[in-house]
Amino acid sequence: MARRYDGRTTIFSPEGRLYQVEYAMEAISHAGMAIGILSSEGVVLAAEKKTTSKLLEQRSHEKLYKLNDYMAIAVAGLDADANTLIHYCRNQAHSYTLTYNEPIPCEQLVQRMCDLKQGYTQYGGLRPFGVSFLYAGHDKHYGYQLYHSDPSGNYSGWKATCIGANTANATALLKQDYVENCSLKEAISLAVKVLAKTMDSASIGADKLEFGTLSAQADGKIIYRAYTAREIEKLLADEDVKKILEEKEKDS
Amino acid sequence: METAARRSVFSILDAPARLSIHGANADSDGDAMLNAADLGLSSSAPLEFAHPTFAIPPIANPVEFLKHQTSIDAKNRIKIQHGTTTLAFKFNHGVIVAVDSRATGGSYIASQTVKKVIEINPYLLGTMAGGAADCSYWERELARRCRIHELNNKERISVAAASKLLSNMVYAYKGMGLSMGTMVTGWDKTGPQLYYVDSDGQRLKSDLFSVGSGSTYAYGVLDAGYKKDLTVEEAIDLARRAIFHATFRDAYSGGFVSVYHVKENGWEFINRLDVNDLYYQYAAEPKPKLL
Amino acid sequence: MEVLLGITGKDFVLTASDATTARGIVVQNRGEDKSRALNKHNIMLYSGEAGDTTQFAEYIQCNTQLYRIRNGLDLSTRAVSSYVRKELATSLRSRNPYTVNLLVGGVDPASGAPELYWLDYLSSCVKLDYAAHGYASYFCMSTMDRFWQPNLSLDEALELLRKCLAELKVRFIGNLPDFTVKVVDKDGIRVVQI
Repeated sequence: MARRYDGRTTIFSPEGRLYQVEYAMEAISHAGMAIGILSSEGVVLAAEKKTTSKLLEQRSHEKLYKLNDYMAIAVAGLDADANTLIHYCRNQAHSYTLTYNEPIPCEQLVQRMCDLKQGYTQYGGLRPFGVSFLYAGHDKHYGYQLYHSDPSGNYSGWKATCIGANTANATALLKQDYVENCSLKEAISLAVKVLAKTMDSASIGADKLEFGTLSAQADGKIIYRAYTAREIEKLLADEDVKKILEEKEKDS
Repeated sequence: METAARRSVFSILDAPARLSIHGANADSDGDAMLNAADLGLSSSAPLEFAHPTFAIPPIANPVEFLKHQTSIDAKNRIKIQHGTTTLAFKFNHGVIVAVDSRATGGSYIASQTVKKVIEINPYLLGTMAGGAADCSYWERELARRCRIHELNNKERISVAAASKLLSNMVYAYKGMGLSMGTMVTGWDKTGPQLYYVDSDGQRLKSDLFSVGSGSTYAYGVLDAGYKKDLTVEEAIDLARRAIFHATFRDAYSGGFVSVYHVKENGWEFINRLDVNDLYYQYAAEPKPKLL
Repeated sequence: MEVLLGITGKDFVLTASDATTARGIVVQNRGEDKSRALNKHNIMLYSGEAGDTTQFAEYIQCNTQLYRIRNGLDLSTRAVSSYVRKELATSLRSRNPYTVNLLVGGVDPASGAPELYWLDYLSSCVKLDYAAHGYASYFCMSTMDRFWQPNLSLDEALELLRKCLAELKVRFIGNLPDFTVKVVDKDGIRVVQI
């Protein structure tokens, strides 16, 4: 029965479902996980890189991207689709700045991205984008913010959330350990802990992780900082990831 | 990447529709009509609100063409009717509208019996100054829209809205040679209303207007005698005298003075008097005391 | 002959526009308000080509209000003047550009900080402490240069405005009897009597 309604994104099944959109979401649940955590001092984005090989050139960005001075994004899903959307998103952010001479309010940028995504679930002959995003941002209206958007074009604001594989476990951990109005450092620790506990591999290194924070510098200017490989290694050592992994081993 | 999905997503409100004529406007298929797309209207705009479009001469620039045909250099010059005196004012018992009836083309008096008050519907009046054809065409178009408004909304259009419709329509043709100075008046839910609309797109609200080549003469008499608490008889007399004095001094105004009174239940035509008869009637009356 | 004036004070912007509409040599209306409220804390004054002025001002007004409805936020004075500038710049390069000169004034509703922008039909956009458009600039700019100072109180600003209008009455041949004077502050926009 379902097959007749699979092929087209624009056709509802008799049960009122859009299969192509659901499949797109399914694609995302196999991608490397990305976590976003809001703190009182900034936003943390962290992500797991799935494609690791020692033959692969070490690229610094695969999951985390800067959009403008006040926003960054974490990706889960098809990289090619994500590239297109990020290009679009940066374009929108800067055309807003061109018109209004100030950075785009975070939610508006998320809305613009979602309007595009939604269009691809409705207009004929198109395939929805197989990407979910986490947006870390700051604006003068609502301060630090964290949003999530999915292939259907839905979006929502969060204090801490995650996308990709193993989200059920990670969400449970976040619910359990998240402290409202925590410091940035606490948020980073939580991100490391959740990633370490939910990633499949037994060892975690800079080759498998990306980290970024959006926070204020000493002079009050907001910046997005992507961690270098060395900084990630240091972070993992500081947070004693080995111990977390051993605990995980013991529990299982 | 350009897909239907992208098209209308972040649009802001469209700028006020303004026609543009591209060179020849003859598209590749040779169609010399201005089409709706040129009006900046979205395709979803209801047809009844689309601006009227015209067949235009198949030459490079219709605006320049019109300018030339109406200039002194033209071999067979088109003389557009211009001279006029019209006035309208609000007072405690409604609105008085008075106009002359002369049509001129240059120094030639084309007619002495023009109807310069356009009866848009039983509750709305428009006046005619500038191009006679422009005024009657656009005010008929306005009448059509007002009727559609009534059918859609089950109530009469306000004078404010009607005058705004007119001003938006002619603004779309700004710079293309329209010549129109009109007063739109009527009685709606908010009482008697008076607006001035012209082909620049200007739209004003006030208690008293006079439009046309004789307007300065009319203003002179009108301003001296105008007050809010005139009786109906006094108001009608003041309006008629103002037009009369304008026809006396302005060579492009003359013929008959038509007077209308806008009341709560619609307008009433008062009368239409020959300025020649008025001259002798007024001449026989004593002049008013100055002190 | 049109006159637009704007003066920033401590926590407000004071604006004045002449209330006269003329066509050729004839005065058509004496009670005109040549301004539009863009949102609660921003006002735009306009002068220029008949028809263009109100059409453009209402177009901008509608879009700033649409922005508020869509996004639940009001545009700041800076944002709205940048937007207006961009609209004018686009229009300038079109077949029939708007011939409109503008003053955009407003306050930041949170801090009360006043801002005033001067824009012309060639889409210049300058942030100023006090500004004038039209012939008024020849008569009033020196007066404002002489007497304007930071953190003016409303009474001081009104007195400065009176000086400007008095100078116009004395030296300017155009007879402008009435002005529409407004104040924008954290409570919104209101008319004041001069």
